[in-house]
Amino acid sequence: KSAPKSQKSAPKSPKNPPKIPLKIPKNQPQNPHKSAPKPAQNALKIPKKSAPKSPQKSAPQSKKIGPKIPKKSAPKSQKWAPKCPKNHRKMELFPVQMEGVKLTVNKGLSNHFQVNHTVALSTLGESNYHFGATYVGTKHLSPTEAFPVLVGDMDNSGSLNAQVVHQVSSRIRSKIAFQTQQSKFVNWQVDGEYRGGDFTAALTLGNPDILMGSGILVAHYLQSVTPALALGAELVYHRRPGEEGAVLSLAGRYSAPSWIGTVTLGQAGAHLTYYHRASEQLQVGVEFEASTRLQDSSVAFGYQLELPRGNLLFRGSLDSSWQVGAVLEKKLPPLPLTLALGAFINHRKEKFHCGFGLTIG
Amino acid sequence: MEGVKLIVTKTLSSHFQVTHTVHMSTLGPSGYRFNATFLGDRQLGPTEVFPTLLGDMDSAGSLNAQVLQLLGERLRTKAVFQAQRSRFVTWQFDAEYRGDDCTAALTLGNPDLLAGSGILVAHFLQSVTARLVLGAELVYHRRPGEEGAILTLAGKYSAPNWEATLNVGYGGAHASYYHRANEQVQVGVELEANPRLQESSFAFGYQLNLPRANAVFRGLLDSSWSVGGVLEKRLPPLPVTLALGAFLNHRRDRFHCGFGVTVA
Repeated sequence: KSAPKSQKSAPKSPKNPPKIPLKIPKNQPQNPHKSAPKPAQNALKIPKKSAPKSPQKSAPQSKKIGPKIPKKSAPKSQKWAPKCPKNHRKMELFPVQMEGVKLTVNKGLSNHFQVNHTVALSTLGESNYHFGATYVGTKHLSPTEAFPVLVGDMDNSGSLNAQVVHQVSSRIRSKIAFQTQQSKFVNWQVDGEYRGGDFTAALTLGNPDILMGSGILVAHYLQSVTPALALGAELVYHRRPGEEGAVLSLAGRYSAPSWIGTVTLGQAGAHLTYYHRASEQLQVGVEFEASTRLQDSSVAFGYQLELPRGNLLFRGSLDSSWQVGAVLEKKLPPLPLTLALGAFINHRKEKFHCGFGLTIG
Repeated sequence: MEGVKLIVTKTLSSHFQVTHTVHMSTLGPSGYRFNATFLGDRQLGPTEVFPTLLGDMDSAGSLNAQVLQLLGERLRTKAVFQAQRSRFVTWQFDAEYRGDDCTAALTLGNPDLLAGSGILVAHFLQSVTARLVLGAELVYHRRPGEEGAILTLAGKYSAPNWEATLNVGYGGAHASYYHRANEQVQVGVELEANPRLQESSFAFGYQLNLPRANAVFRGLLDSSWSVGGVLEKRLPPLPVTLALGAFLNHRRDRFHCGFGVTVA
């Protein structure tokens, strides 16, 4: 294997870092005006890593070798959290709007600790620098999941985003999340989730303020009726001084071997999604959302094309608001670099954004 | 560099070449451009082929046309027309005589016999020694009720590794220095002073050639606190070139970025 090494012009020290294969997705700042916090789980996205290329080189770095961790494949009825109709969480195969230049450097310091630096130069808003740190604990639930997980992200303006996820017992998982905007706390929520044999129950307390008597309480329950069908309900109770209200929504999900359909109906509107895995390379998704409060509806179509042999990932989307966008991600072996090119055009507003990003590590 | 640009060049024969350009811009209007180039039979150098006919048409109807022709052994002529929408904004005729060690050129820009206006540029360059070239340029412009002339003196010194030019005149001074550090690194500095507008500017640029990595990187630093860089990378075996560029103007706090793909 010495021949390919001589051609490498990459910096020599991180040549084959079989480091911790942990990628924690960046916490999107939650909209402080949303009345219900996202009861989404913190997905530990663990990408596939090939075996280290030079076994003799990895001996001095043996402490950095993590286990070969394939993608998490929990039973589907436990993985899915029904979406509150007011949330707009798009499926993972929709491209992210990119503008400006972004440089991300991920560094795994040990099996348990990882830091990342992000410099974003923006054409529209403010440019910023983010520093993130992730700690993964020692309690192993399965080869893919380890607890507790502590994630922190700090902005150059002082905005903090912090999450703690811990498996309290074999069936109970809890999460605490904080978000500040500069020095003001805008979001603080605590979450508890119980996974039974064929059901999931979760309780979320968002922005509780005992002095003012305000807060948001979300309770949801999911029951797996058959191996393919899961039904559930979600109750959102919010209270402010002088006002209180509750919203109930029913949810259903049907999973087939190559497609998944979900329906969420409630007083606030309806949300339908359909996801189809056409082949190993092509995945397609459609999402329909209707809101009774805003009195409008929208449809979005997205697809993802994976070419692992070309180290390529392409995501495209088409919206009912005449918005077309695409993101192309390409890994550049042998360096641990990923180049992402993205462009979005909104035909109705006649606006065009484009951007590219580079991820190291 | 801003927005996304896609350039497709197609060579139809050894004499004819067309180029399609689609530019999606974040700042201004987006458009499509079509370019056709005809190259004649007479080839004087690696880049000089005569006659050359060049036409460029925009999706908004703007036309850019050039004709380059060789008359005799030493006389080159050029005609340039530029139209925006349906109005001609530039029409210019050029003649250049190349002697053994001197060059004389005459340019007539936007001549309008009816209005009695136009611009006449005459320049003369003499190679004093093998390395030193001196010359002068006279620009005469005339409009109904006004006329004026500006004389500029120019000098250029070339060494094997570097080159320096100096233009001094009534309209200002312009000095530039270009240095080829090695096969991969080229550096250039430019200084411009305008006494009429009472301002001067300075720019520093460099180019890094990495042929083995199929990449060319150009960087720029300006006196107006503008920093920019463009990376061009060829992607063999496809005849595709990817260009990534970003410009940051610190003084005005503006950032542009863009990328482009050139096919063949």
